[in-house]
Amino acid sequence: SGELYCSLPNPRNVHFESINMKNVLHWSAPEGTGDGVLYKVKYAVYGVGKWIRKPECRNINRTWCDLSSETSEHEEQYYASVKAFLKGACSDWMETTRFNPLTDTKIDPPMVSVSSTDRSISIVLTAPEKWKRSPEEESVSLLQVYPGIQYNVSVLNKKTKKRWFFSISNNTLVVPWLEPGTAYCVSAQIHVPTPVLDSGFSK
Amino acid sequence: GACRVSMSMREIRAGFTAIKTNIQSRDPIRTLSILSHPHSLHKVKSSDRCCITYQLFTFYVDKVFKHCRTEDLFVNRKISSIANSFLSTRRKLGQCREHNNCVCGEESTEKFKQILANYEGLNVTSAAMKSLGELDILLDWMEKSR
Amino acid sequence: GILGGDALLPAPQSISILSTNMKHFLTWSPVIVQGATVRYSVEFQGEYEREYANGSWIPISECSLTTATICNLTEDISASVAYKLRVRAELGATRSQWGTTKGFFNRAMTSLTPPQLRAVADGHHLLVELADMGPSFQFRVLYWRKGQESRRYSRQGQECSPPAWHWDVPRVGGRAAHRAQAGCSECLLPAGSLRGFAALSFAG
Repeated sequence: SGELYCSLPNPRNVHFESINMKNVLHWSAPEGTGDGVLYKVKYAVYGVGKWIRKPECRNINRTWCDLSSETSEHEEQYYASVKAFLKGACSDWMETTRFNPLTDTKIDPPMVSVSSTDRSISIVLTAPEKWKRSPEEESVSLLQVYPGIQYNVSVLNKKTKKRWFFSISNNTLVVPWLEPGTAYCVSAQIHVPTPVLDSGFSK
Repeated sequence: GACRVSMSMREIRAGFTAIKTNIQSRDPIRTLSILSHPHSLHKVKSSDRCCITYQLFTFYVDKVFKHCRTEDLFVNRKISSIANSFLSTRRKLGQCREHNNCVCGEESTEKFKQILANYEGLNVTSAAMKSLGELDILLDWMEKSR
Repeated sequence: GILGGDALLPAPQSISILSTNMKHFLTWSPVIVQGATVRYSVEFQGEYEREYANGSWIPISECSLTTATICNLTEDISASVAYKLRVRAELGATRSQWGTTKGFFNRAMTSLTPPQLRAVADGHHLLVELADMGPSFQFRVLYWRKGQESRRYSRQGQECSPPAWHWDVPRVGGRAAHRAQAGCSECLLPAGSLRGFAALSFAG
């Protein structure tokens, strides 16, 4: 086959974007190449001797590749790399920095369920689950991955516009002595003390 | 054995996170790890944890930090901060060993030998920089098993 | 006039460390040279540097060639070991000898001040707002009904994330009074006997 010349500009900003350990490789197209660029992806477990090609991301024209399955062992660390092709020319392999799923993922807010009596609110929080290959696969809560998880809960009195914050370690909170007939807005955030990870506040 | 030691994990984490990309970019070898291959720290039995933690802190204090001086002042300051925190924590772990709470089983001795073999397989500066770049592997393991 | 020839620049004097609530500052007296701006450079040395790195010193870039006579050490004094600090004066190419702190400094020697405390009544709730003192701190809040000093309630918190937290402190009926203590995990004082009471009386 024709000799490929690696003179094509390189893919840029090759990096992992991870939410709840759903780990997707992203990159930007090489500068000034326009349409028609195709890409190949490979990945490696840090400390293990070989690069592994990702068949589902061979000769693709999109600029992302889901490597969640290949990087699901969160006690390992990974590299991934992308190469671009266009009309017989190719780029160099462009690598990510070392990716640590445990510290480099983002965490979704917890699920908040609220019940109330006329003078109190009961709040139950549920941490999101780690990404899994299929619905049938056993669920792993991020609580198991980060044992030190804490919750920051905000309770807004819609009448007085005053907001209270609570920091709790278990996942339930009862707020007593409330004003009857008053609307309260509850929102919660996950806080992992170390490695420092904070989710956004729930809607 | 049981050995509870207070350490400023948050500060060590913050110090490492600040220089992680810089330090790991100085380690071009993807195919070798000092701490995690062929045997993972996560396979160490709980009874051996205290001993291997003490051995690893001694490894970093005696062999790693001193060979990681860089041309970057900011990086050097963070390495000093981590090194002094390790020294302080190692001293507390040492007190556990004196009270015999930190017995070394065969498995952890074997595991630590493997780590030293991985380290000696590279030249000193490369081995030290790679070990420093793997600090989060140690911290992740310690936090998971506390 | 400006220093002539090889006239020596005196080393800074009265070098000391001010440490409050785990914030550490090095201060020294200015070196006066008429008609000239003297600058200073600061370096630190931890126990690790003394014992394992041939007694090396590490410059603090924010306090290199500074005209100030104070340097914030908090970021660098981040372990509970013995540190040494030194500072020298610089004028053009002329440098003084290093002036070094007498003895060692360990952050466990920091002095604690009472936490800033504010109590706010909101419906049937009494909210205690504590100013954030940084990640190493824990808080203990005591509160009781006015005139019933003997019956106290206590709440303890690990650390506060946002700058000022409202703690939900159930009203004890009628007038209430509060006290708050701050303690830090790396300080000399055992958690049990903390100093630094902030007393506040609140008539709810």
